[in-house]
Amino acid sequence: MDDEWEPPLPAGYGDANRAFIQAFMARGALTFREAQELLAAIKTAAASAAASAEEGGGGEDSPGNNPRSPVRPQSITPAEVDNAMRVAREAVEPLDYDIRNARDQLRAGERVWAFINAHSDPATQLGTARSPEEVAYVKRLLDAMFETYNTPRMEVMAVDEGQALRVSRPAGARRESAMHSGNGENEDENGEDGGATQSAAASRGLKHSEVLSLLSSLVAEGWLDKSRDGFYSLTARSLMELWGWLMATYNDADADAPEWQRIKFCEACKEIVTSGQRCNNPDCVIRLHDICEEAFWRARAEKTCPKCSTAWEGTHFVGERAATSRSGFQRGRGRRGRRSEAAAVEEAEEGAEESEDGE
Amino acid sequence: MPPQSRRRRQVIQDDEEDEDIQQPGSQSPADDGYGDSDERMRGSEPRDETSQLTKNLVRYALACEYSRTPIRRDGIKDKVLGAHGREFKKVFAGAQKQLRATFGMEMVELPTKDRSLLTTEQKRKAAARSQSQKEPTSNSYVLVSVLPAVYTAPAIKTPSKVQSADGEAAYIALYTIIIAIITLSGGELSDPRLRRHLTRLNAAENMPSMNPNDETSPSEKTELVLQRMIKQGYLVKVTEARSGGDEDSTIWHVGPRGKVEVDKEALAAFVRTIYGGSNEELESRLQASLNIKARNVPGVPEPVGEEAEEAPPRGDPGPSTRRRGRRRQADVEDEDSE
Repeated sequence: MDDEWEPPLPAGYGDANRAFIQAFMARGALTFREAQELLAAIKTAAASAAASAEEGGGGEDSPGNNPRSPVRPQSITPAEVDNAMRVAREAVEPLDYDIRNARDQLRAGERVWAFINAHSDPATQLGTARSPEEVAYVKRLLDAMFETYNTPRMEVMAVDEGQALRVSRPAGARRESAMHSGNGENEDENGEDGGATQSAAASRGLKHSEVLSLLSSLVAEGWLDKSRDGFYSLTARSLMELWGWLMATYNDADADAPEWQRIKFCEACKEIVTSGQRCNNPDCVIRLHDICEEAFWRARAEKTCPKCSTAWEGTHFVGERAATSRSGFQRGRGRRGRRSEAAAVEEAEEGAEESEDGE
Repeated sequence: MPPQSRRRRQVIQDDEEDEDIQQPGSQSPADDGYGDSDERMRGSEPRDETSQLTKNLVRYALACEYSRTPIRRDGIKDKVLGAHGREFKKVFAGAQKQLRATFGMEMVELPTKDRSLLTTEQKRKAAARSQSQKEPTSNSYVLVSVLPAVYTAPAIKTPSKVQSADGEAAYIALYTIIIAIITLSGGELSDPRLRRHLTRLNAAENMPSMNPNDETSPSEKTELVLQRMIKQGYLVKVTEARSGGDEDSTIWHVGPRGKVEVDKEALAAFVRTIYGGSNEELESRLQASLNIKARNVPGVPEPVGEEAEEAPPRGDPGPSTRRRGRRRQADVEDEDSE
């Protein structure tokens, strides 16, 4: 690399694009509307920069001094947003960053873009500003979401506060309290793992108050969603960012196609389903986003599962509704509040596990 | 448990050692990554090693800023260059170009600390360092934005979401105010005077935490926040033992990161905002106090700039953060790579 070397850039790349990237990185993710607002602000700034350049400089000292006619966010078209994203992506791709977009399963399919690190796992992503204890906790939390509370019978893929607190310490330290969780084997494995590979610091775990602070901060940073019923699940941004890691960690790439996997994809859009519907046949692995449902059935003659032809009633769920739609949950909630929610899920889980063994 | 769970454990074990906070940039050859992309990336392009190192340095710089860790030359050698330690100059220059071209940022060397401000421990460290390197440079860098000021409008540059945007905004507001007070007091401020100012800001005991939405800890002890400001280089606190039984005297100064990020121009803009605009008298006083270049005063005093009326009111955790919109030009540093 000699002195003449110039970094490769997309054609016409300028300060407006750089400002877009800086702003994008500070936010981590942008919804369509946020992107509109941002691009409008940048356009306004670029116009005033150009204007003050014409007037003979001095513009730098009076930023925003002439908000002549601010560009309206609504005037930014989807094509403009797409274009800004495409250019930004082209610019950062050589540096192993990426910009991906997805539709938010929980927010009516709103489009959202995420600025992501192309090789990504929880330690690099969530860990940069966090202590080793917190990173270790986040891993346990993900395990809880995708293993403990994601069984073939109950694909909750979310945890409530009680469940999040239950993994505040590594398995070894919490074995006693986990004795009757009906997940003995899993706990043991966790135990070995904790002893062998986690540093002494990380295996200390977190205090409950620390867990609550961390959860709140992960919500504020846009990694976790907290639902009205108090369930924490991964946001669209997290799913984009951790896609590869989640697949490598929780799914078995060598498994035969029809086998149940922890992470499943929407039959319509092929993206991860952590909130949606499942086939009424409990052994069938077909899943569908709520946001994809309408278009999917419109294109089909019958509302039956495309794989096993069971009538699709849309009454079986993936996501927190897998827990909240159960009568046990509703009852428990009324009587004893949060603590028993966890217990209700736990009981259901135990039941499911047992019946599995029996099969 | 199905087989995939065992498979997974191995994956975790492999990357367990990567929990260093500066991990995103640490692609040293010894680093045993688990991803396929890593392998491909490293394996197939040996001819273009320098550009690989340049890329890693860019990523390292962005990762450091994420946690407001200075980009240290030692860290670069350790985490980025590895066996290619001699190429520092070349790789650094390439990374600067890349940062400017793609992100509109650059690495700025932190000023060396005034020797008289060093604590004993720091003096010892400095002494140890000066034996190996003769130059009086700090060898530490921070990322700053080099974009024209028009792009610092609050609608473009929001506080980074690291931990929480509200907490970040409050934190920026607080250190900007403290740095302004110290600088305008002649570069140093005694502890009792700082405390008096903090009392007037209703921040003597507590300050908003990095995540004011957190019900468990919406605020933090002022002492902890000040410690963080010191650790991150915004402030320097020097305590001198007095002879003759007097109480120790503590003096606050602006730290190296504070000097770079909240520079004189940023301070002037901050003062203008607080005064609700600029006029000739204010400008001449600013010039005298901050030693900045003259500035044209518009005929009608108007709220200056970038933040005056636009700062969104939502989430204001307290009176001390009223000026949350204040964004110094250099504040990209916290907008990391992700």
